[in-house]
Amino acid sequence: MPKAQLFITCLGDQFYTKTLQNMTVLLERLGVELTFPHEQTCCGQPHFNNGFESQAREVARNFLRAFGRSDASIIGPSGSCVSMVKHHYPELFPAGTPEHALAAEIASRTFEFTEYLVNVLKVTDVGAVYPHKVTYHASCHYLRELGLKTEAKTLLNAVKGLEFVPLNEEETCCGFGGAFTVTYPEVSRSMMENKLKNILASGADTVVMCEPGCLMNVAGGLHKTGSNIRAMHIIDLLSSK
Amino acid sequence: MSETPTYIGFEAYTGHIPPSIPSAVQQATARFAVGRAARVSELPQFEQLRQIASDIRLHTIENMDTYLLRFEEKVTAAGGHVHWAATAEDARQIVLQIAREHNVKLAVKSKSMATEEIGLNHALETAGIEALETDLGEYIIQLAGTGPSHIIVPAIHLKKEEIAAIFSEKLGIDAPADPIELTRIAREILREKFLNAEMGVSGANFLIAETGTLVMVTNEGNGRMCTTMPDLHVAVVGIDKIIPDWESLTVFLKLLARSATGQKLSTYTQFITGPRRAEGEFGPKEFHIVLLDNGRSDVLKDPIGREVFKCIRCGACANVCPVYKNVGGFAYGWFISGPIGAIFAPQMLGTPTARELPYASTLCGACADVCPVKIPIPTILRHLRRRVAEGDQIAASTMPAPIAAAAKLSALALAQNWIYRFGARILPPVMALFTRDSWISSAPYPLNRWTKSRPLLAFTAGFRSWWKNRNAK
Amino acid sequence: MTNPVIENIRRSLGGQRPPYNPRRGLGPRPAIYESRRPESVDSEIEQFLDEVRKLSGVAEKLSADSVSDALKALVAKNGIRKATLWHTPLFEQLGIENTLRSLAVDIISPNADKHEMAHCDLGITEAEYILPETGTLVLASSAEKPRAVSLLPRLHLAIVRPEMLRPDLHQVFAEHIGRGEASLRPYTPDYLVFITGPSRTADIELTVTLGVHGPKNLHVWIMVKNLTVAFD
Ligand code: SF4
Repeated sequence: MPKAQLFITCLGDQFYTKTLQNMTVLLERLGVELTFPHEQTCCGQPHFNNGFESQAREVARNFLRAFGRSDASIIGPSGSCVSMVKHHYPELFPAGTPEHALAAEIASRTFEFTEYLVNVLKVTDVGAVYPHKVTYHASCHYLRELGLKTEAKTLLNAVKGLEFVPLNEEETCCGFGGAFTVTYPEVSRSMMENKLKNILASGADTVVMCEPGCLMNVAGGLHKTGSNIRAMHIIDLLSSK
Repeated sequence: MSETPTYIGFEAYTGHIPPSIPSAVQQATARFAVGRAARVSELPQFEQLRQIASDIRLHTIENMDTYLLRFEEKVTAAGGHVHWAATAEDARQIVLQIAREHNVKLAVKSKSMATEEIGLNHALETAGIEALETDLGEYIIQLAGTGPSHIIVPAIHLKKEEIAAIFSEKLGIDAPADPIELTRIAREILREKFLNAEMGVSGANFLIAETGTLVMVTNEGNGRMCTTMPDLHVAVVGIDKIIPDWESLTVFLKLLARSATGQKLSTYTQFITGPRRAEGEFGPKEFHIVLLDNGRSDVLKDPIGREVFKCIRCGACANVCPVYKNVGGFAYGWFISGPIGAIFAPQMLGTPTARELPYASTLCGACADVCPVKIPIPTILRHLRRRVAEGDQIAASTMPAPIAAAAKLSALALAQNWIYRFGARILPPVMALFTRDSWISSAPYPLNRWTKSRPLLAFTAGFRSWWKNRNAK
Repeated sequence: MTNPVIENIRRSLGGQRPPYNPRRGLGPRPAIYESRRPESVDSEIEQFLDEVRKLSGVAEKLSADSVSDALKALVAKNGIRKATLWHTPLFEQLGIENTLRSLAVDIISPNADKHEMAHCDLGITEAEYILPETGTLVLASSAEKPRAVSLLPRLHLAIVRPEMLRPDLHQVFAEHIGRGEASLRPYTPDYLVFITGPSRTADIELTVTLGVHGPKNLHVWIMVKNLTVAFD
């Protein structure tokens, strides 16, 4: 029986209770034995990406403590946070140190949710039903740092009743970028508005993505414009019956 | 615009971007990005070319002294003059000195980033020498008195009506708002200037060490005019433009136009080795090249940052950059804009001047995907952010104290997980005060900078207790 | 003599650099540096003409006997009154200058003053090489083949031969730097220019406009028949 630790990410923790519950239920239904390391906080990416590397290292140490005592896979609902652990943790510690070895070991067993389903469990149909017109936004780190180009679409493809419609500029950043939203709010907003324009033009009633950050941004934008297009995390869509 | 900025206020600029700029810029970027994609798909070896280009550039950077000295030797052997300029001021003085010796009154210029960098036009004008930009876009913005908004199409922010108005006002003619007519007018005026100028000033796209050859790539032909008509040709070129040999040039020529404009080759590629040799032929009697350092040799100290010198100035990174597309070129405050500007200016001008630029990105990585020489732009952005936030061997931290303090405090809370978990219990009830129907439409500082543009989701933070209850059963 | 720029480069790059090695980091010579193998001369010619046309140039295959007629048509259609051309054996043999004179076109010496050259309607050149993949003309420079002839007139006509075809840049560059005396190699002539289509700009509202500083019209004639004897 595959074993995994839930990596809920700080945004998930604060804002996406339902999504995390769905993730738990889905994985268990697929026969994964889950544990939840409750000492986890944040992966440290906000610090790392903004140049506060020493601080990121402190936060990462907490992660290493929380997840390091097991050899189970680590599964997170965010391409960006997973990429932090997978690609940047080993960079944070000098090669040859025990911390580096631990970071590298942890990196090797960390997976983004859809990646884990499609590439590790080899599951493409989770039995979901969602009779809607759905479009997909490819989140930047999910797409470019993790190189996940087909996984989400493969899963969507198997959802009953789902009609997939393409999104113009699918791979263009939605303007989230973490602290960017508050550092340069005007720029972030124009980027988000471009994304919304394309979503509206797609004719979809649902836009789906694999990133809590982008989701907060896009959902917030849609809410503000009074649109009734739903922005969803892919986990929630895959949990629909 | 040609002056060296003392502080680049990206945020201050982006607070009031004229709405016409993003839409104009997006027209250009879309055109070029589509063209690039089409050319790339035709060339199966494109990825391999990128890797080789990157390797050659790195090799050249690591041996820059060797190649520059070889270049100097070859230019000298070909009868040209090589000048070394450690600073922008040195470069200006060298050019002024040459101009004075030749009694130059009018200099015609072909688009050159290095002369922008040193503010040469201003220096020439001050010395009583007319310096005329001859690339159509550069000519327009010179008349308009603004800077470039795009690397390839510098006047993209101006509509034809505005250009007609500028022509009418500055040239005292009745100019129609028609691109073809406006181009014809510029051709006529500039042709007289080319024929009468005593000096042609250019930059270069590449310098070939093997033979001391300067390579210039243009579409309009003004580059040819500047280097063919006047008896004196002075090129000002950054030392980072050096490449080893002609064989490696094949790689860069295959990448450059395809990445920049989606052409296979630009219209004119010229190879200039010293002054003209044949009697009765056109071309300069005297050829000078000013090799501009201006801080580049200092940047070489940083093995991560110096990859910026792999750049071939194609502009592809800007054409796919969602930030650039929404702010335009002016926001970057200097002559190079877009992602490349965001890693170039902070290194050349220093982080005290350009500390905001490394943050002018969502680190989406689209730039690195298209860069023909594989510059890891997001990695360098993070590296420079670290210089700003924490300081490194190159420069001390320039992060405003409150932000640095907030970062330290938040990291403390996140690293000591009990603080985080305690906070996570307090936050939802506090934020509930601002929440209506699961949305927070105006939050207290600093989250107000988020809610200004879109509401924030309610803090639910319910997973931990759900998990606990569920597993307690 | 000390050179502060070079010294500072050396200081920055540090003392522990591995010794200079021309191919260090470049690995084995990549196959990309090998020239393409063309299918046939005919297909190369077709591709070349095709690319020139895609760039808004006018490209034709001509035989020696049809050159006079083609010139007549060109002069009439484009209102040519003044022309300049390279001094080459091919042009002599084709009788270009005489044909033009018979059409009442003024011939300006290619070595004339630039102000005079600037008023030419037509400039005629050959090429050193032509590149089919990009529709590129490669022109060298000498007293007999001045560079202004392809630059100042509003119409540039290049008369080329299949012998000028080269598979790609690699071949062109190798030949170019192989010129001159062996003792001087690598050595290169003072000037070489690639011309790929007519002068163009898109600087105003991205509207493509031809002939901004260089020639507005580019015509290329490739001589295909009846000239074999003249080819070396
Ligand atoms: S950084 Fe890369 S993509 Fe950007 S201008 Fe330079 S070479 Fe082109």
